Amino acid sequence: MEQIIKQAIAGSDADYTEIRIEHEARSQVLFRKDKLENIEGSREQGGIVRALKDGGWGIAAFNDISDLPGKVKEATRMAQLVARNIDEPVELAAVEPVQQVVTADLKNDFRSVPLEEKKKLIEEYNRILLGYDKRIVSTNTRYTDSFRTVTFANSEGTFIVQEIPDITLLLVAVASDGSQNIQQGFESLGEAAGYEFVQNREEDAKSAAKRAVDLLSAKPVSGGKYTVILDPSLAGVFIHEAFGHFCEADFLFKNEQLKKVMKLGSRFGNDDLNVVDEGFIPGLRGNVPFDDEGTPRAKTYLIKNGILNSVLHSRETAKKMGAEPTGNARAISYEFEPIVRMTNTYIEAGHQTMKQMLSEIDHGLYAVRAYGGQTMFEQFTFSAAYAFAIEHGELGEMLRDVVLTGNVFETLRSIDGIGDDLAMFGGSGGCGKGGQFPLPVTDGAPHIRIQNVTVGGK
Amino acid sequence: MDKLLEALKDRADQAEVYREQVKTIPIEFRSGKLESLKSTETQGAALRVIANGRLGFSTTTDMSDVSTLAKAALAASKFGEEAKFSFSSDNPSPRHDVYDREIVDISEEALVNLGERVISRLMDADPKVDINLSLSKRVETVAIRNTSGLDVEEKRTSIGLSAEVGKTSEGDIFVLFDEQQVRAMSDLDPDRLVKHIVDFLGYGEKIVQTESKNLPVVFTPNGTIALLLPLLVGFNGKSVLMGTSPLKGRIGETAFDPRFSLTDDGTIAHGVRTSAFDDEGTPSSRTPLVSKGTVEGFTYDLWTAALAGVAPTGNGYKGGLMGGGGFRTPPGVGTSNVLVAAGDRSEDEIIASIEEGLLVDSVLGLGQGNIAAGEFSNNVAVAFKIEDGKIVGRVKNTMIAGNTYSLLKENLIALASEPIWVMGALNTPAIAVDGVSVIGQ
Repeated sequence: MEQIIKQAIAGSDADYTEIRIEHEARSQVLFRKDKLENIEGSREQGGIVRALKDGGWGIAAFNDISDLPGKVKEATRMAQLVARNIDEPVELAAVEPVQQVVTADLKNDFRSVPLEEKKKLIEEYNRILLGYDKRIVSTNTRYTDSFRTVTFANSEGTFIVQEIPDITLLLVAVASDGSQNIQQGFESLGEAAGYEFVQNREEDAKSAAKRAVDLLSAKPVSGGKYTVILDPSLAGVFIHEAFGHFCEADFLFKNEQLKKVMKLGSRFGNDDLNVVDEGFIPGLRGNVPFDDEGTPRAKTYLIKNGILNSVLHSRETAKKMGAEPTGNARAISYEFEPIVRMTNTYIEAGHQTMKQMLSEIDHGLYAVRAYGGQTMFEQFTFSAAYAFAIEHGELGEMLRDVVLTGNVFETLRSIDGIGDDLAMFGGSGGCGKGGQFPLPVTDGAPHIRIQNVTVGGK
Repeated sequence: MDKLLEALKDRADQAEVYREQVKTIPIEFRSGKLESLKSTETQGAALRVIANGRLGFSTTTDMSDVSTLAKAALAASKFGEEAKFSFSSDNPSPRHDVYDREIVDISEEALVNLGERVISRLMDADPKVDINLSLSKRVETVAIRNTSGLDVEEKRTSIGLSAEVGKTSEGDIFVLFDEQQVRAMSDLDPDRLVKHIVDFLGYGEKIVQTESKNLPVVFTPNGTIALLLPLLVGFNGKSVLMGTSPLKGRIGETAFDPRFSLTDDGTIAHGVRTSAFDDEGTPSSRTPLVSKGTVEGFTYDLWTAALAGVAPTGNGYKGGLMGGGGFRTPPGVGTSNVLVAAGDRSEDEIIASIEEGLLVDSVLGLGQGNIAAGEFSNNVAVAFKIEDGKIVGRVKNTMIAGNTYSLLKENLIALASEPIWVMGALNTPAIAVDGVSVIGQ
């Protein structure tokens, strides 16, 4: 394979050529209610060629990897067409060529666990979810694993083979009191780990089911402005969704007005606010030893002491913006070209305790876990899985239907408390951008307190 | 495929092979400039087997090694769910109106020119805007064969055009989005897309405040998805079977305003999800969901229909609810084309009749909130204030919340008279409802 790839690149007429070939083995077990909805083991292979010719990008993606020279030609033809229609040629920032093999070191390799054993484990979790209470009407219990072997080579002499493991477990319980009140509780887990990661999760299943039942009697939140404490999971989703996407340079680099908004050195928050994207922390889902352009991982401070310090780059955006590539060019699979994405993104721990932050709030909300989040430029919205009222410095009754929204810049400036309890969350889903979903990422944060947050509700 | 089915005959009760070959040409423009051209050529096969009464599934991209595929699916079936349904045996003829020669033949250069024309028209209207535009043509062949005698194949085309137009000024970023997905080149209407964006850019120049209170909201056809999404979930036969749909057991009940009718129709001309058969080979059909306010039916795939003891409705789609899962995913219950019946007043007349309210064109956080119970709670992305029947400016950082089931039963003001295709496969007019909770600044 190595020779075939190298020969195809050597025969290219383009100014820059890269080939990425991927082999994947994956399995899934999915229960819904009392039905095993899917059980499968599957294999997939494919490749993508990206060529730069006269400053234009051409791309060809395919499953049939038997004709790489033909695909190089196709990508080059596309690149020439683009070059004829642009006035500013694409250039790439320099990256040191590298030859390396990165192997996955799994404690208990999920590929050697029989499908039957996976099914038994997931069936047991499903049984716990369903049997927790008679008001549990449905479940969604999903196990996935994926082991990808990705080979990347380019015309600058880089040749990298990386093994990328990923394992997830989703535990969802849906409860109903027989009327139109339908609530759900969930645990969503994911890591770049072995099978041991999904074992012994009985307590997670119970807590998901308990939450669904508890939410049946929770009151909907009243809409309005609140001082809010976000738990580490929700704060992680906030920093990823609302701020992280803003730092992806492909979103900025051709837009002069947005570049002004994201001018390095601008103040974005209080002195104790530090936000990081870090390409490798052992075990985390967002890990990228080398990105899909062959750039090594980095630890990038997006915000340092409240000041915008850096954004995230591919080779193209780094060149255009006069920066160094940060190892953030990622693709979800061989079907896609790399675009600028996050890896493991988090707010660094501060010095306050949760108790201290709580005690200073007279009337507010403690919002826990993210049910989802979306951002559109400066506006963000994300929903908490559940929340608790805060009255006179203490946690009160459970609340539901808590959707938080606001302007990211105002909200970052309104963070007035950062906890000392950083935690990271891989989750079982992933990040979506430009039609590429789900990309494994990790988000994290300590507890944070934000003043003046708009909460939707009736 | 024949060899695979033949080989499985003695080892499985039933087997089904789904095969797709897809070619796409996606083109991206960023900040008004061509960014990249891509061609993709992918193929894959999915095998479902029922052996000893149990279901197994596996997929592959390697067509030269189908014996590994057969082994994997059989292995999965050993521990699979009991399957009390039969694979489809009707053999619907392929439709010819889902394959457009013009899309097949259009060159990359012509697509680039089309994109540039749309961009220059938007720039003419407002030179200060930043435009990201995507165009993508798709040509696919789907073939399904099974041991019940099904042997169908259909060639389908589609073309998508989407534009994101942003205007940044001090302390404000205003972004408009519109998209079209059609099966034939002649159904693509770039003029409509340009007009929608240019009109709304004009409405958005001034920013106005709104107080927190209950207000009437006019959802534009694009905006209706915020209101209708809970229904797409609620009428899904799987939600009904699982007991998570509030519509369970309510067929024949008047659960909506008598002016409201909703249909799932996989057969309608010009629908982007129209096809002769679904991803299980079941013939596509027209399924009334709500007829003049009365709940009429739900959508089903083979498995869910068998469990519910009803006939499948041709809604077995790979990827489930919104479909588009490709060969990798097993089929589940999804929507085909969804149609909301039109009313008798124009959208402009409805707006003119509103003393104070909002016009909502898009929201953030779609699908959040308690969708199963019919609740939506969204930040508006593009919305305007209506005062004395006129659009007076744009509202920002504003949330809307309500319950679709109660709004469409008790609070329907009007359905507009001009349904259009939005979000690909949704055909709807603007919908106005009263009493939406609005949280302003």
